[in-house]
Amino acid sequence: MPREIITLQVGQCGNQIGMEFWKQLCLEHGISKDGILEDFATQGGDRKDVFFYQADDQHYIPRALLIDLEPRVINGIQNGDYRNLYNHENIFVADHGGGAGNNWASGYHQGKGVEEEIMDMIDREADGSDSLEGFVLCHSIAGGTGSGMGSYLLETLNDRYSKKLVQTYSVFPNQMETSDVVVQPYNSLLTLKRLTLNADCVVVLDNTALGRIAVERLHLTNPTFAQTNSLVSTVMSASTTTLRYPGYMNNDLVGLLASLIPTPRCHFLMTGYTPLTVERQANVIRKTTVLDVMRRLLQTKNIMVSSYARNKEASQAKYISILNIIQGEVDPTQVHESLQRIRERKLVNFIEWGPASIQVALSKKSPYVQTAHRVSGLMLASHTSIRHLFSKCLSQYDKLRKKQAFLDNYRKFPMFADNDLSEFDESRDIIESLVDEYKACESPDYIKWGMEDPEQLMTGEGNASGVVDPKLAF
Amino acid sequence: MEDDDQQKAADLVQELVLRLVSQNPQTPNLDPNSPAFLKTLRYAFRILSSRLTPSVLPDATAIAESLKRRLATQGKSSDALAFADLYTKFASKTGPGSVNNKWALVYLLKIVSDDRKSAINGLDSSVLLPNLGIGDTGNGVLSRGEAKKKDWSNGVLLVSKDPENLRDIAFREYAILVKEENEVTEEVLVRDVLYASQGIDGKYVKFNSEIDGYAVQESVKVPRATRIMVRMLSELGWLFRKVKTFITESMDRFPAEDVGTVGQAFCAALQDELSDYYKLLAVLEAQAMNPIPLVSESASSNNYLSLRRLSVWFAEPMVKMRLMAVLVDKCKVLRGGAMAGAIHLHAQHGDPLVHDFMMSLLRCVCSPLFEMVRSWVLEGELEDTFGEFFVVGQPVKVDLLWREGYKLHPAMLPSFISPSLAQRILRTGKSINFLRVCCDDHGWADAASEAAAASGTTTRRGGLGYGETDALEHLVTEAAKRIDKHLLDVLYKRYKFKEHCLAIKRYLLLGQGDFVQYLMDIVGPKLSEPANNISSFELAGFLEAAIRASNAQYDDRDMLDRLRVKMMPHGSGDRGWDVFSLEYEARVPLDTVFTESVLSKYLRVFNFLWKLKRVEHALIGIWKTMKPNCITSNSFVKLQSSVKLQLLSALRRCQVLWNEMNHFVTNFQYYIMFEVLEVSWSNFSKEMEAAKDLDDLLAAHEKYLNAIVGKSLLGEQSQTIRESLFVLFELILRFRSHADRLYEGIHELQIRSKESGREKNKSQEPGSWISEGRKGLTQRAGEFLQSMSQDMDSIAKEYTSSLDGFLSLLPLQQSVDLKFLFFRLDFTEFYSRLHSKG
Repeated sequence: MPREIITLQVGQCGNQIGMEFWKQLCLEHGISKDGILEDFATQGGDRKDVFFYQADDQHYIPRALLIDLEPRVINGIQNGDYRNLYNHENIFVADHGGGAGNNWASGYHQGKGVEEEIMDMIDREADGSDSLEGFVLCHSIAGGTGSGMGSYLLETLNDRYSKKLVQTYSVFPNQMETSDVVVQPYNSLLTLKRLTLNADCVVVLDNTALGRIAVERLHLTNPTFAQTNSLVSTVMSASTTTLRYPGYMNNDLVGLLASLIPTPRCHFLMTGYTPLTVERQANVIRKTTVLDVMRRLLQTKNIMVSSYARNKEASQAKYISILNIIQGEVDPTQVHESLQRIRERKLVNFIEWGPASIQVALSKKSPYVQTAHRVSGLMLASHTSIRHLFSKCLSQYDKLRKKQAFLDNYRKFPMFADNDLSEFDESRDIIESLVDEYKACESPDYIKWGMEDPEQLMTGEGNASGVVDPKLAF
Repeated sequence: MEDDDQQKAADLVQELVLRLVSQNPQTPNLDPNSPAFLKTLRYAFRILSSRLTPSVLPDATAIAESLKRRLATQGKSSDALAFADLYTKFASKTGPGSVNNKWALVYLLKIVSDDRKSAINGLDSSVLLPNLGIGDTGNGVLSRGEAKKKDWSNGVLLVSKDPENLRDIAFREYAILVKEENEVTEEVLVRDVLYASQGIDGKYVKFNSEIDGYAVQESVKVPRATRIMVRMLSELGWLFRKVKTFITESMDRFPAEDVGTVGQAFCAALQDELSDYYKLLAVLEAQAMNPIPLVSESASSNNYLSLRRLSVWFAEPMVKMRLMAVLVDKCKVLRGGAMAGAIHLHAQHGDPLVHDFMMSLLRCVCSPLFEMVRSWVLEGELEDTFGEFFVVGQPVKVDLLWREGYKLHPAMLPSFISPSLAQRILRTGKSINFLRVCCDDHGWADAASEAAAASGTTTRRGGLGYGETDALEHLVTEAAKRIDKHLLDVLYKRYKFKEHCLAIKRYLLLGQGDFVQYLMDIVGPKLSEPANNISSFELAGFLEAAIRASNAQYDDRDMLDRLRVKMMPHGSGDRGWDVFSLEYEARVPLDTVFTESVLSKYLRVFNFLWKLKRVEHALIGIWKTMKPNCITSNSFVKLQSSVKLQLLSALRRCQVLWNEMNHFVTNFQYYIMFEVLEVSWSNFSKEMEAAKDLDDLLAAHEKYLNAIVGKSLLGEQSQTIRESLFVLFELILRFRSHADRLYEGIHELQIRSKESGREKNKSQEPGSWISEGRKGLTQRAGEFLQSMSQDMDSIAKEYTSSLDGFLSLLPLQQSVDLKFLFFRLDFTEFYSRLHSKG
């Protein structure tokens, strides 16, 4: 009963970061490109069966579903070095291969169309697991397939596997540059609604911040996708180390997430990683101590989500929870000292309506991957400043919506047929109430929030429930 | 001396006295036969035979010279020349008929001349020359004037007398006197004393039990001085008797009684010493055959023995014998090491004689002891049939061999071996025995011979002796170093001590998280049943399943096989949770470390951690039911706003309370992991590396385990806080069932409201029963939520007060690390703020 986790990589972006993730896992577990355990990797201690299963011939096969509506990326994988790694039955490419055209509605609709086929694959994988812990969805929220079809899958999974965890690694679009996907705000908003309602945990990977980190921290002038994706795969593999290297605590996903997400709706997590390097990058090697790593993790420049907060708002922002996963040879006595120093210097602001603390998990480092640094750290945190990212999405959506721009592409699909744009409004309300809840978390009176004011309650809760509008659903 | 010579001298004296007395104006014409005259004569004899000697060095030339000088200074230079001339003639005269005692003569002349002068000056000279007139006057003191006249005129006549003869006469008389006083001659006494000093009664000197010593018999008439002298000398005999008796008694007792090898060695050493003493006595006895000459002959040093000489001879043996006697006294009741120690105490002596003697004695006495040490340290053999060694072995079970198999016997520990050295000696031999018996190892022999080579001693017998404490220490150190190292090597490599500790940490201390989780998953439901219904066989099956499902499967099978399910004795009301536990079977030789009591401590820690895990498991279970996509996504349709408010409030309350509990349990777990388990383990690992011997290792392990027990609030002194912690755990478990009910209710509500909504949609027309049902639903929901909220409130209240109690107890604990726990729990100062507010 290894508490298996099934990974769904949907869309171009999802498959790209998924591919990087599996590459990284293979390296860390000493699994060759063909899924065969390397000779040097026979020493136990790691748990491969969470993410892999063994075929009859002892090949390790990822519990992964590769799903896309257009064949380009998946073809790349199938012709690449790792082509023999994946189970070919788990690869789904739409027959027409035309993609979703960066249209959420198209992706969502097509998802509905192939639901049966995909759910069969998921069921097969789930049946192959002894004690399925949950699903991990890798996707982007801006495009068509990852966002639209991803959204549909989220709803379906939530319905069918309501007891299982659903975690997503969601890539948020770069909002500083003008994107080639003009309808990105629409897609993002619609996907965010599903992330809010149908996912248990969303790890936000903000392309803006990733780009910034690549430029500022790694000194790359024009970071490529592969380079930013390697950042993502680093984060993904690091966040699963405690599952793969069992220790005293945090051995399963639910245990990991439960403490991070005490407020069910505020389940969007930021990540930070240090020290950052990318492949073939001769970086300056730092001295890494636990305190050093923990301090760096709290610096905004290392956090992979942009903060759009203004100064005053930023000072109000609070951590709801923090989990630092420290990898490497660490003297456990250092942990306490580091925590003390951090508290003395008041480096971190926590919520005031309940007790909180920095959780630290020590994890083994893979013996097969040589790194220059002794200690590395990943931070998973729930921070209220993430609301500014959502606000930014909302304001971009509002701009676009005001102009009534590009809505025709959506009206072609049943959900928006007959000029029924209530899905947009509803999503907007849900995101707004999410922003409100995050804001409320910054106040010490969060416990009473939404109780005194029936008006706000009506809108807040009603929207959250998603069916307050009598015109919908029934 | 010839008789007529003597007679001649006597006649001469008589004549002289007659002349002197007749010159006395008071007694003219004295009858030579009158009693008065005879009395005077006798007096004269006595004076002559006395040994009055001048207080000047007998140097004739010097006196002559001084006389000459005096004459010269008085202006009588011609007299001086004449004196010098006369003196040369006088001095050169030798041969028969000449004056023998030239110096005496010159001196006499000088005195006489001085007397004359001082008499002129009115000084009293009667003291200088014998006043022969004193005795016969009979009526007191003569006037000075008369005495002077008499002396001057007659003194010269004395010169012609032969002093040798006179002294001889005196001596003879003295001898006769001595003979009169002493019944026994000195020679006989000397011989008797020699007998006595061998513990044999002599003719006169016999053992007197009344005074407990040898003495001249009362009946024998000897002067007091002699008596005392003999008494003193014969102390040696008394001492000898004592020593001798001890030796014979000890020898006789052997081997029937436990004299012991040290005792034997002691006797042998004493015997050696005695034979030296016998030699001396033999020499003395030979000397005692020579007669004791008279005092006049004493200048010629013949080998004869007098009591006085004997006392010189006896000085050294007396010291030794006294020492031996003292030692014999001290050691009478002692054996073995104690005896050596007692003797050693007397060796610290400033007198080099005593010191050397004691050294040689101790060397003999300690040789069996050192041999025991050597064979113990290098071979692990306890060659101690008489119980003399300071290491005592006792038959014990194998697992207790190290702790109780061998003990130091402090009474047998000689003081020249320091307690720390003794400890090392004990441990080294123990290590060898441990290796031999428990580890079934023979590699120690190499280590031992290496040690012996390194310390420069041979492995043969008799390599060491007393006084070489440094060498002994060196040997012991070398042997200890190597054998302990070998022992640890065997434990570490062959018996995988560290791996076993790790396995215990992983399984009994729940370090192997995935294993624990599966075990909890599969065993959990079963454990909720009454303990009586649970078979440990079934649980063992679960354990095996958990091992196979987790990474534990890759562990050494040898270690996994030692992991067992243990059901503790249970009463009727107990649930499975109360009695389930895991145990680790320790086998020889590791059962020396993992003793019963150690394992029972591990058991307690396991139970505690298992309880903690159970609570964590429960909290995770709640989270699963309230997880984001369960709560947020589902629709709570068409409820009255008041009910909705209630629902929201109930949910929020539940979440916040959950957050608080989870915070507590999670941080408690972090505390357990970092501050308790990992820190203790890393300390233990360090100490394990540094451990030089098994004792170090045992101590390190003990410290490790005690640290865990203490910091996990399992110690005696943390009883109150532990109870309050368990109250919190109970509350959390209660909270879980409440939360489950709440979410179940909400779930039901969702289904109902969905159904009613669907009904409504289908029917399209407002049917009265549906609206009624709706109303009823709302009402029921309201009631349900109300009661749930109340329950939740009461739990929250109870929890807050219990937590308050727990937190207030924390600072009172002795362990510093509990401050870390408080620090973690109150990281954001949430509780301190709450406290200062309330």
